[in-house]
Amino acid sequence: MNDIRNSNPDGEDYEPQVSVTSTDAVGLAAGGSAAPLPGEDKSYSQGQLVARRFFRHRGALTAMIVLGIVIIVAFTSIGIGPIPGWWSKDYTLQYDKIGDGAPTWAYPFGQDTGGKDYFALVMRGTQFSIIIAFAVGILSTVVGTVIGALAGFYRGWLESVLMRMTDVFIVIPLLAVAAVLGRMAGESGIWGLAFVLGLVTWTSLARLVRGEVLSLRERDFVLAAQAVGTSAWRIITRHVLPNAIGVIIVSATLSISTAILLETSLSFLGFGVQAPDTSLGTLINEYQSAFATRPWLFWWPGLMILTIALCVNFIGDGLRDAFDPRQNRSKD
Amino acid sequence: MLKFILRRIGASALVLLGASLLMFFLTINSGDPLKDLRESNDPNAAQLMAERSERLRLDDSPWERYWDWLSGVGGCFTGNCDLGVTINGIDVLGLTQQAASSTLRLITLSTLLAIVVGVALGILTAIRQYSGFDYSVTFSAFLFFSLPVFWAATLLKEFAAIQYNNWIAVGQYAPWTIVIVAVLAGFLLQAVLGGSTRRRLATAAGVFAFVTVMLFVFNALDWWRNPMFGIGGVLLVSVAAGVLVTALTAGLGNRRVLYAALTTAVVGVIAYWFTAPLLVDEPTWLLLIGLFVVAVVVSVAIGAAWGGYARKQAMLVTGITGVITSFVVVADILIAHWSGFLGIKSRPISTIGSQTPNFDGEFWERVLDMGTQILLPTILLTLVSVATHSRYTRSSMLETLNQDYVRTARSKGLSEREVIVKHAFRNALIPITTIVAFDFAALIGGAIITEEVFGWKGMGALFQDGLNAVDPAPVMAFFLVTGIAAVLMNLLADIAYAALDPRIRR
Amino acid sequence: MTTLDISAPGPVSAAGDAVLAFEGLDVTFKTEFGDVHAVKGIDLEVRPGEVVALVGESGSGKSVTSMTALGLLPRNARVSGTIRVGDKVVGGLDGRGLRSMRGNDVAMVFQEPMTALNPVLTIGDQLTEGLQLHGLAYGRKATERAAELLEMVGIPEPERRLKQYPHELSGGQRQRVVIAMAIACDPKVIIADEPTTALDVTVQADILDLLRSLKDKLDTGILLITHNMGVVADMADRVAVMLKGDLVETGTADQVLNHPRHEYTKRLLAAVPHLGAGPGQFGDVAPVRAAAGDLPALELSSLVIEYHRLGKPTFRAVDDVSVSVAQGEIVGLVGESGSGKSTIAKCALGLIPAASGSVSILGRDLTRLRGKELKTLRKRIGVVFQDPASSLNPRLPIGDVIAEPLVVHNEGDDKSRRARVLELLDAVELPRSAYNRYPHELSGGQRQRVSIARALTLDPELLVADEPTSALDVSVQANVLKMFTALQERYKFACLFVSHDLAVIDLLAHRVVVLQNGTIVEQGAREDVLHNPREEYTQRLLAAAPVPEPLEQRRRREARHALLAQLGDEVAELRVAEH
Repeated sequence: MNDIRNSNPDGEDYEPQVSVTSTDAVGLAAGGSAAPLPGEDKSYSQGQLVARRFFRHRGALTAMIVLGIVIIVAFTSIGIGPIPGWWSKDYTLQYDKIGDGAPTWAYPFGQDTGGKDYFALVMRGTQFSIIIAFAVGILSTVVGTVIGALAGFYRGWLESVLMRMTDVFIVIPLLAVAAVLGRMAGESGIWGLAFVLGLVTWTSLARLVRGEVLSLRERDFVLAAQAVGTSAWRIITRHVLPNAIGVIIVSATLSISTAILLETSLSFLGFGVQAPDTSLGTLINEYQSAFATRPWLFWWPGLMILTIALCVNFIGDGLRDAFDPRQNRSKD
Repeated sequence: MLKFILRRIGASALVLLGASLLMFFLTINSGDPLKDLRESNDPNAAQLMAERSERLRLDDSPWERYWDWLSGVGGCFTGNCDLGVTINGIDVLGLTQQAASSTLRLITLSTLLAIVVGVALGILTAIRQYSGFDYSVTFSAFLFFSLPVFWAATLLKEFAAIQYNNWIAVGQYAPWTIVIVAVLAGFLLQAVLGGSTRRRLATAAGVFAFVTVMLFVFNALDWWRNPMFGIGGVLLVSVAAGVLVTALTAGLGNRRVLYAALTTAVVGVIAYWFTAPLLVDEPTWLLLIGLFVVAVVVSVAIGAAWGGYARKQAMLVTGITGVITSFVVVADILIAHWSGFLGIKSRPISTIGSQTPNFDGEFWERVLDMGTQILLPTILLTLVSVATHSRYTRSSMLETLNQDYVRTARSKGLSEREVIVKHAFRNALIPITTIVAFDFAALIGGAIITEEVFGWKGMGALFQDGLNAVDPAPVMAFFLVTGIAAVLMNLLADIAYAALDPRIRR
Repeated sequence: MTTLDISAPGPVSAAGDAVLAFEGLDVTFKTEFGDVHAVKGIDLEVRPGEVVALVGESGSGKSVTSMTALGLLPRNARVSGTIRVGDKVVGGLDGRGLRSMRGNDVAMVFQEPMTALNPVLTIGDQLTEGLQLHGLAYGRKATERAAELLEMVGIPEPERRLKQYPHELSGGQRQRVVIAMAIACDPKVIIADEPTTALDVTVQADILDLLRSLKDKLDTGILLITHNMGVVADMADRVAVMLKGDLVETGTADQVLNHPRHEYTKRLLAAVPHLGAGPGQFGDVAPVRAAAGDLPALELSSLVIEYHRLGKPTFRAVDDVSVSVAQGEIVGLVGESGSGKSTIAKCALGLIPAASGSVSILGRDLTRLRGKELKTLRKRIGVVFQDPASSLNPRLPIGDVIAEPLVVHNEGDDKSRRARVLELLDAVELPRSAYNRYPHELSGGQRQRVSIARALTLDPELLVADEPTSALDVSVQANVLKMFTALQERYKFACLFVSHDLAVIDLLAHRVVVLQNGTIVEQGAREDVLHNPREEYTQRLLAAAPVPEPLEQRRRREARHALLAQLGDEVAELRVAEH
């Protein structure tokens, strides 16, 4: 709704002021005719610089490792589809209950009320939640990027239409529109759910990309490309979007964490994953009253959601720092 | 400015219209409203189906049904609102009014709290960038917005309500609990206040000693079950608040402002003394609000009278001090009523519902009941928003602190406090207004779940029941309330934006 | 904020009366890429009523030096040596002492008046703040004093201005406000860090006049940090030249500017374009060889460009401008900010539409062409922009950047493109190893060479250059200009050269067009316009441009004051009220 102030130079006649601040990062300005290229021995491409900064972010690095382990365990333990995993128990079968089903060596996460192996169930739920989250992340990133880039680059009526459309989606509470769509798509399984969630979570990304594109399209290299007769498609794909990649990747990460929480919330409310499928949200919903009697049924799925979302958020933060290092550089 | 606002309202109305159309069509296509009847063995199912089709106008075209709904809403402008009927024939308008009041109460309270706490935390973390305190708040913020709300709600019910209720039946702290609490408090405060190692140690030790002694004294007085505060406590806290506000905004060196703030606190307490009989017995909401307004006006007047050359600053400081004093007074009255309240309701913190059924008490006890009912959902909603706000404030503040004008301010010889409060903070607030408005919509979404978990009959329930039954009228009512609230919030943000930033005033 | 680590007090200064003295100042920054030794043990002092110019190019450490005087360096800085302000030793002060020194003993004037003032506070608030802080005046008294200060720096209607916000003032007025803030507490020394760099040349002359009268009337010492030799010649009593953290030469203005001893100073001075010296300073420009019947490379006729702004009246940026550039001719487009010169350049490139009038490139109207024909025409225009930081796509290696126009127009194969790129790298005097480098690995001057190479890729008949050297250091600018003239000699392209710098235009252009507020004031051959201007505005512009020679500049300054008097204008000066 607030689209007026994303630092877009709305057609003011602005002549660039001459400034003499150093544009070089740290290196002292060279540039005589025979000047050698600075720093021959330590040259980093943009990507390498980003990676270097990312891996120095300890939180993000830890989060990445933890998330990697979670994903690997979730998919290899009970297998996926026809491929069997290394975990011996099946999430659909009911086993003899040991005691009240509390965690044991045989059932590390315990057993549910019917004797099912809770570890297998939680892994199954984790798989579904992760698949949905990543599918939603990718879809919403694509939709958001396309809409944001078109609006920001072409401006005019196209921008008005697209941004009003974005506003329409923003004014409806996300959970509400997701619930309505989730109810419609509930029968078509997780891919249907992932699809509709992707259709509603792109809005913030679209606005961010638009803002970024608005500023990028005024940059000199884009103007130079235009002046030489480069087609709009080529300008967008080769000059504008690669430079907006930071914003896009960071938002994509965050939209994954939004998607995880959204999916579990919907499943909790009963508008998401439908039985016999299981997600972490449905597990919590099913066993929330078990907190006092069988706390493990409550803790495991919740901790799983928390871990995944936390990891994704930390990775997003690390990426943001890596792409946009607001370091205090010494200026002269 | 007026033109600008009108244009925004116009644009928002169009957006709302488009969104309502989308919502309506999605809702009526989300399932089969007759499903339960089709599957039922009831002999008169056919008749019921016909009745329901008639009521929901299933035989008319969707456009006609939408137009019908829209013209009903349009009636609100002429005084005869018609939001339709539910699948069971209940008037939605009545339902909505009830639900909206409880939901909006919850959301507004959470938003206000989240803004205050979030912005304060954001500023503190920005000032103490890369300190242990900064890292802890950052980590907590990530934790809170990675938290599944419904899951956290269950935890909160268990630990903040059930365990507390068990504890308050006795109301005594074990000695080792006291020590742990005191250590934690000492550690936290030294991290927030910072300074040299020696100063940090002194802070921690002071806080530890204070908290330990206080808690043992409270134990001895059975304070947690029979708390009291007294007019002396009110005076103490108000004066402290006045000093703190002065220190933060004008600096203690500015004696005029300091004296103005102290006068306000003292006048507030004297006024409490005289109005106590009115307040403590059976007041009305109207009286309370009236007194509050009077208090604010008097405070600002004190600032104007004392202020001299620093009049504007003094008025701001006394205004804030006045508000704080008023709240302290209310807190004092509530604390005084706590033991009476415990007598009526032995397990004070509730986990279900927005008010205790058949609760019978005096005015302040009813207020306490409402407070204890709203406590848990508010905490939950606030936590998530605080996380967002503190992060945004932090980055906005850091950005501002790097600006040239902050360097100019420092080069004039201003202290860090003045640089931050006067030069950086106002500029940092500008982008935050937008974020707060944006976050409001997310909060409404969170409210759906919170209400479900805590069994509130609010907008969330209206929406959920409506959607389950493929019943458009309550779903659209939910949309209408939340959509308008979001639009209003955005408008408010725009106005705040213009008030903060002279560059876009027109 | 500051980590001043001063081990031992330095030797006692010889001149006890210095208001600002650095002794053995040494500053190191810890950064991601290791330590950067920014200032390497320098000695410098400023006496009352004296202007000491600290000269150097970007990265020489001159701003860092000045910030140490206020104790305002970022946390990652390590400072050693002694800094004295009056009789205070900066390193020995605690936080409170530092704060009472800032503003009171030493004040600062920053480069960017646009950002140096807080946008959400009124001018009055920002002026009275310092007065109240240092206990000079309170309340209404402070407001009166603030108005008086504004009056002193020559801002009309001071009472009204006090209630306004910075964005309501022009750049020059804002810089006057910053100066008023600096003199508010009557400091012993003012540090002016590039105080006129962001300003137009006429405004610059006024601000310099103001600073000069300030030190004369208040006996304040001024440490003037600048890269502009003209400003140095105009202002400085003594000059200190800085190179990579070292002071390589100090002396009086006459000594340093007219009889430089150090190699670097000589090179620096040789690199400064001298207004009035005409072409040939950095290589010769080829004479125009267009025959009478040839189509002009660029012809703008009755061009009008308008901006439509939401909720505001349409703004006419360019009004009825007609300019013609013959083949092989360089036309200089000069004007101050807001004159519409960059707008015209963008329109000539077809980047913004014309409201009316026409833009013809070699006889074809750019505004009427669409699709393929337009694309073909665009092959014949090259462009170089001002900012080396943003003119190259950071995601593409240099080879791709230069080859991009070939790819867009589908010319040649990979091999021939590579050959062309290497040829161009040679032509702009860059090593061939730059082919695989990314823009951020290059310095500003090198990037600008890449920009020029890219503009020449398709062998255009017309080059539009929008302030191509304005963001460069003076020695880098000289090299780029040299290369530019050589390239023009070789490729014979026509050029529309936009610049605010009259000296650069003077050494390059065949013809000059002077713009003001979107209309043409004067146009004609370079010698006529720049050496015998007819129009008043051109005269003002020329008179205000400083030259890097103290005696000549003094003459020019006096001539300018005479011109202003003749035109009925006042010379900017500090107005000190008689108490």
